Amino acid sequence: MTATLAGSRWIRADLRARKAQAVLTVLTVAGIVAALITAATLLEDGTNPWRSLFAQTDGAHVWLYTDDSPQVALGGIDGVTQVAGPYRSAPVTVAQEGKKDPAALRAMPATPPQVAHPVVAEGRWLDPAQPDGVVVERSFATSLRLRIGAPFTIIALSGERHTLYVRGIADSAEQGFYPQWTPGLAYVLPAMLDRIEPMLGRSEWVTGLRLADPDATQVVSQRVVVMLEDKLQRVYTWREVRAAMELDNRLLGTLLALFGVVGLVAAALAVANAAGGRVLGQLRDLATLKSMGFTRGQIALLLLVEHGALGLLGVALGAVAGWGVTAVVLGATSVAPIPVLAIVAGTALVVLAAVGVPAWRGGRTPPIPAAPALPPRGHLSRLARLALLVRLPPALVLGTRDAFTRRVPAFLTAFGVAVPMMMITIGLGVWATLDNFADHPEQVGQHASLYVRPGRLAQLEPAEAKRIAEQDRDVAQVYPGADVNALAPGEARSVRVRAIGSSTEPYPFPVVEGRMYDRQGEAVAGQGLLDLLGVKIGDRVRLTVGGTPLIVRIVGRTVEPDLDGEVISVGLDSLAAKDSVPPEFYALALKPGVDQAEVRGRLLAESGESLDIQSAVNPADRLSIIRVVIVALIAVLLLISLANLLTASALGLRDHAFDLAVLKAMGLTPRQVMATLVTGTGLLVVLGVGAGAAAGMSVVTGLIDLQGHTSGVGAGIGRAPSALTLAVAVVVAVGTALAVALIPARRAARAQVPVTSR
Amino acid sequence: MSAVVKTVNLVKIYQDGAVPVPAVRGVDLQVEPGEFVAVMGPSGSGKSTLVHMLGGLDTRTSGEIWLDGKRVDTLSESAWALLRRKKVGFVFQFFNLVANMTVGDNVELPALLAGASPKVARERRESLLGALNLTDRADASPAQLSGGEQQRVALARALANQPSVLLADEPTGNLDSRNTRDVLRLLGDVHKEGQTIVMVTHDARVASLADRLVSLFDGEIVDDGRISRRRTGTAGEVIDLR
Repeated sequence: MTATLAGSRWIRADLRARKAQAVLTVLTVAGIVAALITAATLLEDGTNPWRSLFAQTDGAHVWLYTDDSPQVALGGIDGVTQVAGPYRSAPVTVAQEGKKDPAALRAMPATPPQVAHPVVAEGRWLDPAQPDGVVVERSFATSLRLRIGAPFTIIALSGERHTLYVRGIADSAEQGFYPQWTPGLAYVLPAMLDRIEPMLGRSEWVTGLRLADPDATQVVSQRVVVMLEDKLQRVYTWREVRAAMELDNRLLGTLLALFGVVGLVAAALAVANAAGGRVLGQLRDLATLKSMGFTRGQIALLLLVEHGALGLLGVALGAVAGWGVTAVVLGATSVAPIPVLAIVAGTALVVLAAVGVPAWRGGRTPPIPAAPALPPRGHLSRLARLALLVRLPPALVLGTRDAFTRRVPAFLTAFGVAVPMMMITIGLGVWATLDNFADHPEQVGQHASLYVRPGRLAQLEPAEAKRIAEQDRDVAQVYPGADVNALAPGEARSVRVRAIGSSTEPYPFPVVEGRMYDRQGEAVAGQGLLDLLGVKIGDRVRLTVGGTPLIVRIVGRTVEPDLDGEVISVGLDSLAAKDSVPPEFYALALKPGVDQAEVRGRLLAESGESLDIQSAVNPADRLSIIRVVIVALIAVLLLISLANLLTASALGLRDHAFDLAVLKAMGLTPRQVMATLVTGTGLLVVLGVGAGAAAGMSVVTGLIDLQGHTSGVGAGIGRAPSALTLAVAVVVAVGTALAVALIPARRAARAQVPVTSR
Repeated sequence: MSAVVKTVNLVKIYQDGAVPVPAVRGVDLQVEPGEFVAVMGPSGSGKSTLVHMLGGLDTRTSGEIWLDGKRVDTLSESAWALLRRKKVGFVFQFFNLVANMTVGDNVELPALLAGASPKVARERRESLLGALNLTDRADASPAQLSGGEQQRVALARALANQPSVLLADEPTGNLDSRNTRDVLRLLGDVHKEGQTIVMVTHDARVASLADRLVSLFDGEIVDDGRISRRRTGTAGEVIDLR
């Protein structure tokens, strides 16, 4: 194409003439993309640790447990590429600081296998030179507070005690984290396992299958079931492991999606504003090019290439930066390729689309150079007339007029400020909601902050545990409770039945709809359970607890942050006696302002370390990564809106350069000229910030509640940011924007513009 | 020899809201090769519109335009653009140099656009700038040049592809008398070398340089005559009359 050379000359000259602006565009897009990738990867890693672990350990997709070493060729199944094991595994109990935890002791060779090999995070792998060594899975070790070299006392099924020593702590992708997934996992050498558990009948065999296609698990596990028949005890696949490791993925996923959409909109706005502003400023040059023989298509292509290249360069830089940051922070395997590629492709498309419109408009420039880019003749807008009426200073009137002469760019500028402001308001709302969780745990069902169990081996009578708890001076109330799993009708899965307190003296569940139960046979449930069973308040549900039917009427909905809200809460007396006597645990509500850890320590000392005391984990602590995301979000949004503003005010300046000369000639001081320009931009900023904050406020509680609803927690958690926070945010936003608008305005006010230019 | 430019009953009507505003009302004009035609008329007489239509910058409402023996008024905007690359050079009142590009790049641009290799384009630019006494300003940006210099660069750019016709719209309208003289002398020089020129002006002194004067009034040709050119005597008096 003959215009290639000429066009490239022009692009080069244009870029050279506005280096700073071009760099700003590239950096803005790069910042957005990098932030998106970092956030996506951090969230992915935080919520889905399985993927990274699976990659590191070359994990197996299917795990099967048999009561004898499988004598069939599992490796011969179609789609199975490699087999791990079979390994012998024996159930034991780990006794640690008076606590007893269930564990599976796994025999593993001294040389780790190729497939599903645990990755040693601390210490070393098993060594035949130290036969009493044990390697403990990391979450199990963390839960038991085990360090390298610590003794590891186990009680075999025979009741015999053995003491091993922790040689290493390893990551594994073969089961979920302890204590959500029990038993805990520990590896010993086969010879050691033979000594601890000589009875083969008391152990089981574990085999892992690595598949060519991860989606073939269904077929493969069915084949396994058929081949092994009654030898097979249970099978589970990577999907269950991943699900077990996932943490509130739905909430974070939605947050990520929201963040992504905002990022894309922001990138589009940034590029569209930069390109659009530039094209408007170049109409004269474009007309000249046309008069020399550039066609309409060539001009459009030229603009598309120039601005698109800047955007794409930003996307590429951002991808590299985001990839680099996450690789440094989390390690190279942590970068999930699919979200990263999706982000890169998405932003690239959005950038090109955003550039396309101004490019197309530029291509349609009439070729008569005599028609320069004049703003539409400035008629006084209604607002300006109002300003004139109330006798504002002339600079303000002129600025008000200027703000609206070009309606579309004025709208784009205000919109470009409003969208980020809305997102910031929503972010602050999420923050306020988390604060509310932390400050008022009772509103998310955590009235009790300590859970006391009499210990698994019942060295302590439950009544004794209750007495110790009640005697403590900082304990306000003790509620007996039990957690049981119940089968739901028509569902092949169980739901949690939580019984705390009695029906007449109920535990204060946060009921947001309906009412609290006040008699036997009534229950309240989380949104997740209502959705799962398809019931509503007032309905009766029939569950089966260990063979005993449990029929309750649901009279209210609670805010339920646990287990995706799939929890039904009843009084302890609603359960059958076999499940409720003696109580499985006591929930301790503490007096306000009391330190949990102190009470916990005192109770442990009181009971001679034989109580198992757990602290309730506030959902705000689990979701603390959201706060990081919010801060990042606000930073990126701020950057974007400032870049937008700079473009907008530069454009405004170009439109008014001639007017300004005339105004100066009429006797406006430089300060007044500056005030005119700042008013022109500032008015749009104030409008945008106001509209954005208002829009954000009006949707924030609804959005959070909607999210709560879909994640099973249930509506009723959303909090809007406090008036003070919002006021500070608005003032900071407007102030920063005005400060940014001041820079080009100052320069313009001092520049000598000849009246005769053009 | 056939005419370089020929129009047949050329009409242009602008639609300003609901009111049609005729700018050019049935112009028949024929420009022979090597001719230097000045189009004169008061403001709003349609002279700029006429020249823009001749170069395809504006579309005609009705009538015919012929360029180098080919009918061109039916061409699309893109086809016009391709045609302009080789056959039409434009000079405007406000110079219209591409502000971001150096003087040299401005002059090379049309040659590159017409498909010349960078080397050829550079040679052509050097000879043109040399002829216009601008060799040492090649790397300057247009904003650093005086009005007269800018117009000379614009002229060099317009002539870069040796167009069939040079269309000049008030080329001296924005210049002082000294620069006007320089630019006019250049126009005279290229004309002597055989360049066909159509120039719009409202300045009789400028128009007197042409060898044919077309007067427009309210979009119609009211007078079309050769300017008799004698070595001595009355031609000078005509100029002095103003």
